[in-house]
Amino acid sequence: MKARLPHRVLAIGSALALTFGLAACSGGDKGGGDASDTLVAETAFNLKTIDPHRQFEFTGSTIDNAIYQTALEFKDGDQTKPSDGLCSFTMSDGDKKMTLTLKEKDAKFSNGDPVTVDDIVFSFKRLQGLKGNPSFFLDGVTVKKVDDESLELISKKPNPALPYILPNSSIGIVNSKVVKENKGNTDEKDGAEAFLNENSQGSGPYKVDTYNADSQVVLTANENYNGPAPKYKRVVLRNVSAETQLTDIQSGQAQVAFDLNSDQAKQIDDSMGKISSLPSTKSLYIFNNTDKKIGGPAANPDFRKAVTSAIDYDKLTELAGEGSQRMASLVPNEFVGAVPKDQAPERDLEKTKKLLKKAGYKGEEIPFHYSSDQSVNGVDLAQLAETLQAQLKEAGINLALKPAPSSTQLDGFRSAKQPMGIGTWGADFPDPTNYNVFIPGGSVAERVNWGKDGDPELTKLAEAAEKTEGEARDAAYAKLYKATADTGVWIPLVQPVNTVAVGSSITKYVSNADVSFDFAKAE
Amino acid sequence: MTVGTTDSSTTSPPSTDEAQRIKPPLLPPLLRYILIRIGISLLLIWGVTIVTFLLTNLVPTDPVAAILGDRAAADPAIVAATRERLGLDQPLIVQYFTYLSNLLQGDMGVSNQTRTPVLQSIGQVFPASIELGIGAILISVIIGLMLGLASALNQNRFLDHAIRTLSLIGISAPTFWIAAVGYYVFFFKLRVVPGAGRLDPWLQPPPRVTGLYTLDSLLAGQMSTFVNAFGHLILPSCVLALFTIGLLTRFSRSSVLDIIRLDYVTAAKAKGLPARTVIFKYIFRGALVPIITVVGLAFGSLLSGAVLTETVFAWNGLGQYAFRGATTLDLPVIMGVGLVIGIVYILVNFIVDLIYGFVDPRVRVR
Repeated sequence: MKARLPHRVLAIGSALALTFGLAACSGGDKGGGDASDTLVAETAFNLKTIDPHRQFEFTGSTIDNAIYQTALEFKDGDQTKPSDGLCSFTMSDGDKKMTLTLKEKDAKFSNGDPVTVDDIVFSFKRLQGLKGNPSFFLDGVTVKKVDDESLELISKKPNPALPYILPNSSIGIVNSKVVKENKGNTDEKDGAEAFLNENSQGSGPYKVDTYNADSQVVLTANENYNGPAPKYKRVVLRNVSAETQLTDIQSGQAQVAFDLNSDQAKQIDDSMGKISSLPSTKSLYIFNNTDKKIGGPAANPDFRKAVTSAIDYDKLTELAGEGSQRMASLVPNEFVGAVPKDQAPERDLEKTKKLLKKAGYKGEEIPFHYSSDQSVNGVDLAQLAETLQAQLKEAGINLALKPAPSSTQLDGFRSAKQPMGIGTWGADFPDPTNYNVFIPGGSVAERVNWGKDGDPELTKLAEAAEKTEGEARDAAYAKLYKATADTGVWIPLVQPVNTVAVGSSITKYVSNADVSFDFAKAE
Repeated sequence: MTVGTTDSSTTSPPSTDEAQRIKPPLLPPLLRYILIRIGISLLLIWGVTIVTFLLTNLVPTDPVAAILGDRAAADPAIVAATRERLGLDQPLIVQYFTYLSNLLQGDMGVSNQTRTPVLQSIGQVFPASIELGIGAILISVIIGLMLGLASALNQNRFLDHAIRTLSLIGISAPTFWIAAVGYYVFFFKLRVVPGAGRLDPWLQPPPRVTGLYTLDSLLAGQMSTFVNAFGHLILPSCVLALFTIGLLTRFSRSSVLDIIRLDYVTAAKAKGLPARTVIFKYIFRGALVPIITVVGLAFGSLLSGAVLTETVFAWNGLGQYAFRGATTLDLPVIMGVGLVIGIVYILVNFIVDLIYGFVDPRVRVR
């Protein structure tokens, strides 16, 4: 049976085809918008909020860096030397007292209000009072206004890390008057988060235009910013997967991509854009539980040393991509207190064999936990776990892989019941004290049942490092963290590389260890 | 006593049994059917709230772990405050009734991660899924039915084999792969479609009325925005439609083949009716009931979000929202999305049941 298609069907089909054709031709249509002053940046969102005193993730931090000024800064990304921001600073009383003096007197919030000492005091107190993720930054610090020009931060114990902490975007300075008018407070009753997500109250180069934690955040230039006006008047930060980011950078659809791994970065040639590779402030490591009942062989120091000498670290840096580095401790190589990377362990299977014999290891399987859906600076933890399993197998060590989604893995790790696995740590601030959580009794050390009395020698070294001042801190902390690495409780694996892809339409930009990409300085 | 010349059957009052028999129903049958179905649907939705709540809370992980950073998680005071804020310190039954009571007041809770009301977020992402789902189902129905019909009418000929092979590819090819390849070829290489997202990044979305960018831009008279939004819709819709096209092609083919052999079709042909009339008014209409069932289920599935397609095309719909909620253990989001998906399926099935009556008189409510 044969039948011709009815005319109506043909007509509808033709109309649809025409509409599709017209719409398809809109590929390059700007739709009346102005693309030239818009910077399109893409990242896979982990955005929870852009309230500066609550945010603690990469996306929120990237946005708040563009919106809020901070009391101190890292000039040109030099994280070894904090410098003046809105304020200048002095340390006194054995690093227990910091005096901040308002320096940028012409700084104004996006509504035109001047930045005052009251705003700085309110911002610090709000950060402390909210009891959110970043509240710990000012733990044990008393904030006190001295006069309209200055304020003091008084710590109970010497706090030489404070100048390294204050540049963090979580300690951004907000307009206290407006925030208070919108349910802002310095305790847990604060209700200004929703307001701050929609109406930023900063004095930085940008202000928020639209906010959607799931899809995109649009920033527009702050006309009252006291620095040079940004070339791009509008920044669109979109939630896009890494695979799509690559195509978008190659095609010119986006100008900045934050999440490309090293293989993807290699696909961008000079005609498409540039790659900015920066040392990451993240550390990847193996954790070993020190409780015999939980850790089994992993609780044995000789076994841990055997694992340390069984790993092929060169292969791991290869896996992590060009620019990644060996680590001799958990402290990134660029930080004060880092152990020189030439002291990092090497693979030595003979040594492993002897140590395993000494440890009495009989080849039993050890559960090895990791987040199966997590990737750190392009290093896929599932792939890393499989690589480690294969390397250790060559040395006679049997790992039973236990992958889990990030949230489940995190919960399991925090319950201190995992014998062995992969851990990650991103620096909250570039100071060695940020890593004291790994010392016996520290909050992360507790996850492997390494209590306060776990290693008296380390405790002594930690106390000694804490008392050290000035340039001697570097050596004191390096000694502490080398000794920590030698225990094998934490086995540093690799310091990955932070890759930022920048499209060819951008001729000048600033990308450094402090801010992956400075929207305001892009041209 | 009654005396008269008229027929008693027309004048005397009917007996009680007769009165009950001929008494007109209080409600028209269709309305009664609809009301009963609405009642059943409400019960089902209540069931969905129980199932989503229980399943979500059975996950052996503490959601507080997903919210707090390492430092904050080490502080018992912060952990306790967070549990209290989320209501997790209450017994499970109390948590459920609090959830249900809030739900009845239109409050689906607040995301643990973003602290944004779940209803507000779903209101933003659901229209994106509806827009994509409608685009995909339209393409699927038009192409799938045409191919299925053509395949059945040419049974065991070359065209039939070719269509069946194509539909098999549509069903079996991984969506993520098709999406990635499609984006690379049609956007990056050929430049015939725009890039990811629902609009070009430098464009402002139209004033919100329905949340569907195509419709809202038309309502606002913004033709360039409409053309742009429509252009962005094409490729993801086509990718998403491929599976449904394959499914519908195979299903409509077999359904048409079942009908084509029936006596009434043979009779219609024997009467000498034009081929077009026989195909569209006899065969196709008869084959439509099972096809509508599949279309309904496919549409429900498309509306529920397509995580992989949405991910590749940065299409911020229900699928991505659900995925993010699941990976961050955001319980209110998971429950909210579960409830919405449940309602979508119940609603789609309800509408499909009503359509049956219009298409096939045999199942019409009397």
